Amino acid sequence: MHDNRWRKTLPLVAGAAALALALGGCTPGGSASGGERPLRMWSGSMTPITNNFNPFAVDTATHMTFGAIYEPLFFFNQLSDDAPVGLLGDTYEFNEDGTVLTVTIKPDLKWSDGEDLTAADVAFSLGYGSNLDPDMVSAEAPDDTTVVVTYSSAKFTAASLILGSTWIIPEHIWSEIDDYMTETNPKPVGSGPYKLKSFTDAAYTLEANSLFRDGAPKVKEVQDIGIDSNQSSEDLLKTGKLDWVGQFIANPDGVTANGRISTMNQQQDPTVIMTCADTAMGCSGAQTDPAVRQALNVAIDRASISKKAFAGLSGESSPSFALLPRDEKWLGDPALATSPQEPDAASAEGILEAAGYTKGNDGFYGKDGVAIELDLFSPDGWTDYNDAAKLISAQAAEAGIRVNARTVSEAEYWTPISTGEFQLALYGLTQSLVADPYSNYDQYFTTTASAPVGEEPTKGQNYSRYTNSVVDEAVKKAGATQDEAIKQQAYAAIQTEIARDLPYIPVVLNASQSFFNTADFTGWPSESDMYAAPLPYLSTASAVILTRLSPVTK
Amino acid sequence: MKFWMRRIGFYLITLWAAISLNFLLPRLLPGDPAAIMLGKLRRANGGRPLSEETITAITSILGAEQGSSLWDQYLAYWGRLLQGDLGISSTRYPAPVGELISAALPWTVTLVGAATIISFVLGILAGAWVGWLRGTWLDQLVPITTFLQSIPYFWLALVLVAVFSVQLGLLPIIGGYDVFEFPAGPECTPAFFASAFVHALLPAATIVISSVGGWLLGMRNMMVQTMAEDYVLTAEAKGLRPSRIRTAYAARNASIPSLAGFGIALGFVVAGSIVTEQVFSYPGLGKLMIQSVQGLDYALMQGVFLVITLTVLAANFLIDLLYGFIDPRVRRDG
Repeated sequence: MHDNRWRKTLPLVAGAAALALALGGCTPGGSASGGERPLRMWSGSMTPITNNFNPFAVDTATHMTFGAIYEPLFFFNQLSDDAPVGLLGDTYEFNEDGTVLTVTIKPDLKWSDGEDLTAADVAFSLGYGSNLDPDMVSAEAPDDTTVVVTYSSAKFTAASLILGSTWIIPEHIWSEIDDYMTETNPKPVGSGPYKLKSFTDAAYTLEANSLFRDGAPKVKEVQDIGIDSNQSSEDLLKTGKLDWVGQFIANPDGVTANGRISTMNQQQDPTVIMTCADTAMGCSGAQTDPAVRQALNVAIDRASISKKAFAGLSGESSPSFALLPRDEKWLGDPALATSPQEPDAASAEGILEAAGYTKGNDGFYGKDGVAIELDLFSPDGWTDYNDAAKLISAQAAEAGIRVNARTVSEAEYWTPISTGEFQLALYGLTQSLVADPYSNYDQYFTTTASAPVGEEPTKGQNYSRYTNSVVDEAVKKAGATQDEAIKQQAYAAIQTEIARDLPYIPVVLNASQSFFNTADFTGWPSESDMYAAPLPYLSTASAVILTRLSPVTK
Repeated sequence: MKFWMRRIGFYLITLWAAISLNFLLPRLLPGDPAAIMLGKLRRANGGRPLSEETITAITSILGAEQGSSLWDQYLAYWGRLLQGDLGISSTRYPAPVGELISAALPWTVTLVGAATIISFVLGILAGAWVGWLRGTWLDQLVPITTFLQSIPYFWLALVLVAVFSVQLGLLPIIGGYDVFEFPAGPECTPAFFASAFVHALLPAATIVISSVGGWLLGMRNMMVQTMAEDYVLTAEAKGLRPSRIRTAYAARNASIPSLAGFGIALGFVVAGSIVTEQVFSYPGLGKLMIQSVQGLDYALMQGVFLVITLTVLAANFLIDLLYGFIDPRVRRDG
């Protein structure tokens, strides 16, 4: 009897399994099309990938929306100080005071649905949705290839933003979309080298756009897949299932050993100890005293942090917040090229003593009977940051500064950062994308980019609440001119101020490793030809690379 | 009849309490999802100032419902729930939570459900056998499976992947099916089901390996205990075949406590196996849950918890009913 019972249950279980799969969106369909194999990449998406190709959803749209499907006018190579490369755009020019921008686009362009792409589309895009700059007076298209944009203030410094990361959209489609924030745009029509072929929540496939201005790219299909752990991606690379990823791999030799995969490591964005810097803005704690920040700056052992926490792959950061050697000409004082790499507890103690701090019986400094005690927090699970925080805490203790390394959930991390209710936080600044540190200074160091503690900065990312009228003036001066000498002078002034005040104490330059299959595809950037950064998650750069690749015929 | 009314009343109250807690818990957590989303947007935007419009849109969709009291929010929450509206996910903005869950649920139910059943059947059969032949070399199975159970889950998964997928190249590394073979997604072909089956082997193996020990140990001990009962002795005295005594007399009675545990385990099947799904990028519900907690995605969190609560309650309810039928003592009033 009992035997019969199992015989009845087993088919039932199998049936339930089949039913469950059927509910998961199973549709009768043909099998995969034949032909050449697609280039397979992981640009960092986690499963389930959501079907969103809206270029205004900067955080939640799929990676290939940017660059491969929708294009900006020009490509700014963040690795070099070369002039931008024209994509849709051909030339651009500012008038003398930077308020009128005239762009000519290439002739005879097409959207992927066959409609003509004209200057009217560009003018429409610049005035649509979040692209619309409050300072914009008008955007006009006097003929099919010319766009004239007028602003109420100088826009020299916004050139890379307007020309390099404004996604040009077709007017005939988007003029009918009112709510650009909730649009998901599942059937994108763009001008880029690829168009969407198929989408699932595990992967999506793009195919070559035959109407692309330079002809369809040689790599006919690109598949971008969703992976939830770096280990899986590493395994897939090793077994030849993946062709292109950008991720941290502590021991890259294990992946490149088979000779198929090459790797490159660029160091770009600085990791900093962000401080809530200014009491006038409502910050409290010992770190609001510049002397404490200066002491911390010389007390930490950047060489060992780089080696132990970042696997020796990170670079040396500069207190000038210019990216070297790319921004060499903008560095005012050569002494500010790099932060000290070796710890110097003695001079840290000297700085503190000169500022009136005294060492207590426990070996830690304090003032007026109040010991310095600082909380340094980082998001739990960002292991490199967590390790760095622990090292900083130990190194600061050597110099008599008490720093408690604390980890918080990622959710808990963002709130104090945005409201300013913190003392020290490990943070990653985003480097300017063009060979000019202006956006760093403007975004992170000016008063207008900040907000009092309790409020969130809305016009910038000055989360350290740093205010300095010299910096504010110099940023304004640099932004209103194209004269290099005036800019250099302004930048030098800024660098002196921020390297002394240290609202952000630079730690390292983050590593960014890329891995790509050179056996099956040729045309990748190399150390001698860095035409674009080979990271699959960089918007326009990844598309530029895709158009230069060719499959190896065997 | 009074018994059933009481049971149903009890479950209704539990359901109400669970849903209310589900409403309350995310609101007691620190952190503001709108701040997270705006922070991420700023970084992603490369320094472009966010327009007032964007900020208002995000705070109105994701921000704490400002201006309305907790009570009003609670009523609105019930209203939306009864209409089947689970809200918009912030980490997968603007995907509706309902869609995300219904896409993930079948995978989890199939994988974790099958693995739980396999693990249970294996554990019970082996446990009955080991208990029957107690004192022989088979007793070694108990410490071995207990040891397997104590291996950290993710580590076991990583070792299996390293050996079977990377070294031997026998099994796939990630996913619920071969995304390279089926770029257009699931389809109703034998090849697709074969692919889904092969992709479920390693994740299922990790779940089975690390949970079979519990069933085995419990069953083995109950078996030993049952075999000392008088009715087993009587059966032996009657001269019944040993195989009949083993299955129909000892094993059947010994498995009753395990069946109750099995019911509860089935209830937790939808909660998925977070680690397994994460390691194998398996498209299931457990992963949605962990992602929603990390990203402070209230709507998704509530949706997932609601589904888990409902299934656990439903499983318990069924077991309750079943026990009421099987064992009249449970039904007796007073």
